[in-house]
Amino acid sequence: MGFPHSHDLEVGTILSRHFGDASARRLETWVGMGGYEGLKKAVGMEAPEITAVVKDSGLRGRGGAGFPTGLKWSFMPQEPNGPHYLCCNADESEPGAFKDREILRWVPHLLIEGCLIAARAIRAQHVYVYVRGEYFPYTKILNDAVVEAYEAGYIGSDILGSGWDCELTVHIGAGAYIAGEETGLMSSLVGGRAEPRVKPPFPAQSGVFGRPTTVNNVETLAAVPMILTEGADWYRQWGTEKSPGTKLWCCSGHLERPGTYELPLGVPLKDIIYDVCGGVRAGRKLKAVIPGGSSTALLTADELDCPSTYEGLQEAGSSLGTASPIVMDENTNMVAVIRRTAEFYAHESCGQCVQCREGTAWVAKILHRIETGGGRLKDIDILYDLCEQLTGRTICVLADSVVFPLRSSLDKFRADYEALINGGAR
Amino acid sequence: MSDEKRPDIHPAVVSAQPFQLASRRPVDRLFDDDEGRDRLEKAISRYPEKKAALLPMLAYAQERNGWISPEAMEEIGGALELTPAYVRSVATFYTMYNKHPTGRHIIQVCTCTACHLCGADDVFEAFLEATGTRPGEMSDDERFMVMEAECLGACGFATAVQVNNRYFENVTPESVADVLAALDDDEEA
Amino acid sequence: MSDGNAKMVSLTVDGVSVTVPAGTPVIQAAERAGVVVPHYCYHPGIPSRPAQCRMCLVEIEGQPKLQPSCVMAVQDEMVVHTQMESEEVRDAQQAVIEFLLLNHPLDCPICDAAGQCMLQDYAYETGQLETRLVDAKLVMGRDRIADDILYFADRCIICTRCVRFMDDIAGENSLIVAQRGHKAYIDTFPGKDLDHPFRGNIVDVCPVGALVHEDFVFKARAWDMDTAPGVCGGCSQGCNIDVNVKENQVVRVKPRYNADVNGYWMCDEGRRHLVMANRGLRADVPMIRRDGELEPVTWAEALEWVAERLPAGQGGVARVTASESNESLHTFTELLGVLGIDGGTFAVRRGESAKLPGFPQLELREERVPNGAGARLLGFTEQDALPSPGGGTLVVLADPLLDADPSYGADADFFLYLGSQISAAARNATAILPIAGAGEADGTYVNVENRVQRFHQAMQPPGVARPAWMVVNRLLRQLDGERLPVRDVRAAFAAVSAAVPEFASLSWQSLGLKGATLGSGAPAESGAR
Repeated sequence: MGFPHSHDLEVGTILSRHFGDASARRLETWVGMGGYEGLKKAVGMEAPEITAVVKDSGLRGRGGAGFPTGLKWSFMPQEPNGPHYLCCNADESEPGAFKDREILRWVPHLLIEGCLIAARAIRAQHVYVYVRGEYFPYTKILNDAVVEAYEAGYIGSDILGSGWDCELTVHIGAGAYIAGEETGLMSSLVGGRAEPRVKPPFPAQSGVFGRPTTVNNVETLAAVPMILTEGADWYRQWGTEKSPGTKLWCCSGHLERPGTYELPLGVPLKDIIYDVCGGVRAGRKLKAVIPGGSSTALLTADELDCPSTYEGLQEAGSSLGTASPIVMDENTNMVAVIRRTAEFYAHESCGQCVQCREGTAWVAKILHRIETGGGRLKDIDILYDLCEQLTGRTICVLADSVVFPLRSSLDKFRADYEALINGGAR
Repeated sequence: MSDEKRPDIHPAVVSAQPFQLASRRPVDRLFDDDEGRDRLEKAISRYPEKKAALLPMLAYAQERNGWISPEAMEEIGGALELTPAYVRSVATFYTMYNKHPTGRHIIQVCTCTACHLCGADDVFEAFLEATGTRPGEMSDDERFMVMEAECLGACGFATAVQVNNRYFENVTPESVADVLAALDDDEEA
Repeated sequence: MSDGNAKMVSLTVDGVSVTVPAGTPVIQAAERAGVVVPHYCYHPGIPSRPAQCRMCLVEIEGQPKLQPSCVMAVQDEMVVHTQMESEEVRDAQQAVIEFLLLNHPLDCPICDAAGQCMLQDYAYETGQLETRLVDAKLVMGRDRIADDILYFADRCIICTRCVRFMDDIAGENSLIVAQRGHKAYIDTFPGKDLDHPFRGNIVDVCPVGALVHEDFVFKARAWDMDTAPGVCGGCSQGCNIDVNVKENQVVRVKPRYNADVNGYWMCDEGRRHLVMANRGLRADVPMIRRDGELEPVTWAEALEWVAERLPAGQGGVARVTASESNESLHTFTELLGVLGIDGGTFAVRRGESAKLPGFPQLELREERVPNGAGARLLGFTEQDALPSPGGGTLVVLADPLLDADPSYGADADFFLYLGSQISAAARNATAILPIAGAGEADGTYVNVENRVQRFHQAMQPPGVARPAWMVVNRLLRQLDGERLPVRDVRAAFAAVSAAVPEFASLSWQSLGLKGATLGSGAPAESGAR
């Protein structure tokens, strides 16, 4: 348990440098490691300057969508006429993703510092860190760090004697994947059902408590302090033009060495799987990888020679998502995996949009029937048809999320489906 | 038990207290004692709208009683100027809020995609067998309740199992007995 | 949504150009262009628009995805394609229907909404005959959410119109969505059923048969009912209503849209009013008192008998109700003139008012009669106590005298009773002329805002009973052979507007079905189509 094995690729350990070192959780140690330098710099800067640095760094949102962070911040009103809010999205719940918890768990002060710098950049007076309810042990670590930071004057009134005030509150959810969706998180934070809502209005116009709001992922915010201290160009030494910097890869499934690894963006996906993670366990062959968390299209063993960038994975027919490869070996029952994934989305659908509410559950029912020997070839056509109907027609993208793994498994592993249909249950 | 001294909680983290515990401190009225009032006031102080303290207060009810009773929903609604119906609407949206009394140890076995690949279904079965229960059912001694969980966010350490506020990782059917043995009925947050 | 100065925006919907105020949702612009975009969660009377049913999706040129037309605001030069033109839109709508029907029971044959069901209608239009679901349906059962409203969870499509009516319009956050995803359902807090005085509207806004009113459940099929436009007689608000009648019985009353009076809504007391108004022993044939006994006779005989004995010019007392139409009350004043009776009185039942926060112009008014304003205008005065005839003449129009002493009127020298119910006191009459009861005649009322509104006959009165204005006119003609006949309600209204200055320049026709304000001379702007 704990932070896994080290790896032998050359990496810029921005986020993970202190993973595994419990002493880094304590403020005193953390400051000794150079913590809060970014914040010290930020309090002497004006909001647009901070945003400009982050814009120049090319940092992209690490929550899955990859939206440029600096650009997102620039959408916030420049002339505030009331409170602004920053929400840190720590509702990590995408199957395959467990990167944010490592940040909460090992370097909570890095996240706090990132939150405060971002808050200054968007002129927010209050930061809400929304942590998924299940992460009790890691929330406790974050809580302790927050209290320490308050007591040391890094959060609260007159931060570091700058005259700038900013509060930070840790807020926990209670079991709802959809609270990780930007507008769902906002609905939940203000005391409601975590139901996404239509945009516009966009959060930067009207977010939590009806005020301009920015929602950023944990990993995104944790990358900010060093970008500020070391500069945009320093950050750009890693990665590619479109995908600069480093990224946490949380690798799971049938791997020799699953775990979270920080790597520069652009390392070939196959190297992450075969070198960093030691390849498929027990000497088996690789069947497929869901590269970016369960809501991304799966890739076959032949498709892994692609750069691990936003654009590289898109070109390969999938997406980087949360950079959470789930690896399946040759013995994997593909239909069962997709069925279990569909069940997840059916369980987590908020139930507003008809397609998602009814469609995700229907997909799971059909897959379950195929898996247990009641399938018909016609079901494959129905599943393809449902892929069409679940794409791009709902308020949020939860319904789309089930389509990517489903459609790609139908395309690439149709034989698995047909074998179950023709041969009955295994 | 409810008058026992609790450590003072910083307002910034009052909305993020563990609420799934084996040791409960049942109370009829949540906000009639100093602790309850303190939690309520601190939580409200962190948001521009009272309503935002709803999730923290639902969590507090569960922390004390192990579940959120209709009476607790009414009391919370009263404290936050929300109708009991609204409180129920929110409480039933979130799966971690128990709307019924539960066993002391809520054993949530992640059977989602990554854990599924690594044999989580067998781990789940092993827990059911070891506790002699069916899914979601309280054991006769009221100690255990075993449920399937959606992704617990520990995919690299399959199979992940959450018992109340604790995580157990790399659980196999063989290690189920060890997990159960490690559970202490008096464990605290 | 917009004032008179709002910027206007021009767009094209299915090739038809329309110009609407900026901010108008596309679905309303489409309606202006003659296209109804299918929808469930959108309701024009409910402000919140979650855009969650995904039925009203349309194609908008330049937008990569289909857009919900209920929240998408029009923009200049926008080009919209609805289901009439876009294959993709039709495809999306058909899919929504299929999804909604997956777990929907096929119980249309016993469902109240059948025939008036938006799921049935759109399913028929999009035309997929068979379900592709071979797995078991989800079964959720049913529940009671108010003492008179049942909830069939299996039929529910979670459009949340009912929840949002209670939140936005009733101002009471008492109805909720419980659970989530495909397990979601509508519910109240346990032990706290809906008791809001306007709760019945949730049944009306339900686009399917999930919410049903217990008074109506299993009473009638939509296609077996006749519907007449009426005005609620429950209070002085004058809500516009549709009266649903089956086999000459009112089985249901629903609000009829009128932006200036009641919007899409009405109160529950009003819903019950017409169903209960005509209870009791009905007067169905004319009766005259011969040898001390009331004896049924023909209209011809009754009118001749009454005309011969009527103590003209001798004065007396008169009693009316403020539930009678202006036409009847006015004609009655002419009869009182013949008798030499100076005015009459009417009683007003009062009750607590109830407001609707989200639609403040609608209120269950304290004055629980529909035409108090009209009665006052026509010279009658409010007085609870019945007038004492002494030994003289007593004329009663429509007041059923239900609470009167059984001997009331027995001491009158001549007691003419024009009524629809035969109460104990009515049996003391010298003659009984049967008139139409509530919902059984055409006419107009003046509401609390001085708005004159037409209501239409929904049922046949029993036996040979006739509208009061017709009966009184026939009696007046019996007395004066020169008097011109009043052949229909238009003429009866014309007589009112000729005689009463406030009604001048109003005509039956110009009132239309939305009414007009007294003295306005032209139909009031209703904003409704």
